[in-house]
Amino acid sequence: MDDLAALDELNRLLDADDTETVNTSMRLSVSLRDAAALAAEHFGAASSATSMAATALRQSLETLAMETALRIHYREHPHARPSLAEIAHALAVQDGSPLAERPDLLAAAASAVVRRRPDADADDVLLWAEAQLAVSA
Amino acid sequence: MLDNEAVQALTDSTHTQHRTVVAHLAAAASRRRRGTVVNAVVPTTVRVEAGWDRTTPGAAAINRFRLDDHGLDAPTANLAASIQRRCGLGPADAHIGATVRSVSSGDVIVLTSDPTDIAVACTPSTPQIVRI
Repeated sequence: MDDLAALDELNRLLDADDTETVNTSMRLSVSLRDAAALAAEHFGAASSATSMAATALRQSLETLAMETALRIHYREHPHARPSLAEIAHALAVQDGSPLAERPDLLAAAASAVVRRRPDADADDVLLWAEAQLAVSA
Repeated sequence: MLDNEAVQALTDSTHTQHRTVVAHLAAAASRRRRGTVVNAVVPTTVRVEAGWDRTTPGAAAINRFRLDDHGLDAPTANLAASIQRRCGLGPADAHIGATVRSVSSGDVIVLTSDPTDIAVACTPSTPQIVRI
């Protein structure tokens, strides 16, 4: 199965009717299971440890599906791949941040951040740019 | 939340705003990677306007971006009809407005080519409206 077929199957499964459940043989450490149960019961983090695990797993899988769809799209349309600075700019716009009006600063921040942290993400760029703004104010 | 033009831009890789809309989806994915719950949605009326039939082979690529459908239930349909009548907007914009007004607007970002109409449709709610 190639990436595209695997992604389509992943999406099909994520979008399928969710009412059918199954007892899994997924193995968790006892301490992790107990921590989840405590968080659910004492802190109200979820209705149950099972619910907490299922929600976290879905969030993780949906994120993976989104990232994979983007990666495949970039492979097929290289010109469509936004730069790290462009993604940071999109975040700034979405947040209503003043940095949305400073794409120059975001470009410089993206360039500086990846020199130090090659795996930096767009929020790292925003934080860096905000710090630069604060220092220069 | 995407409007018709945002959907068109995402569908067509030669569209002038294609890369911009992709950047917004990448931003959403980046936030999700950090644990924030972010969902990209498309009102079903926008899908009608955009001619986006999920069952056609041509829709396979855009279907993969996991843009969830947001349908109209009875109360929201009533609100959308009211918005359309009062503001003279199209059904898709009215659907966007009704949806925004039925949730916490501070949590909604609308990607649109027509911020003015969307702002009117959403009033008195004030979502983050992003012009593409």
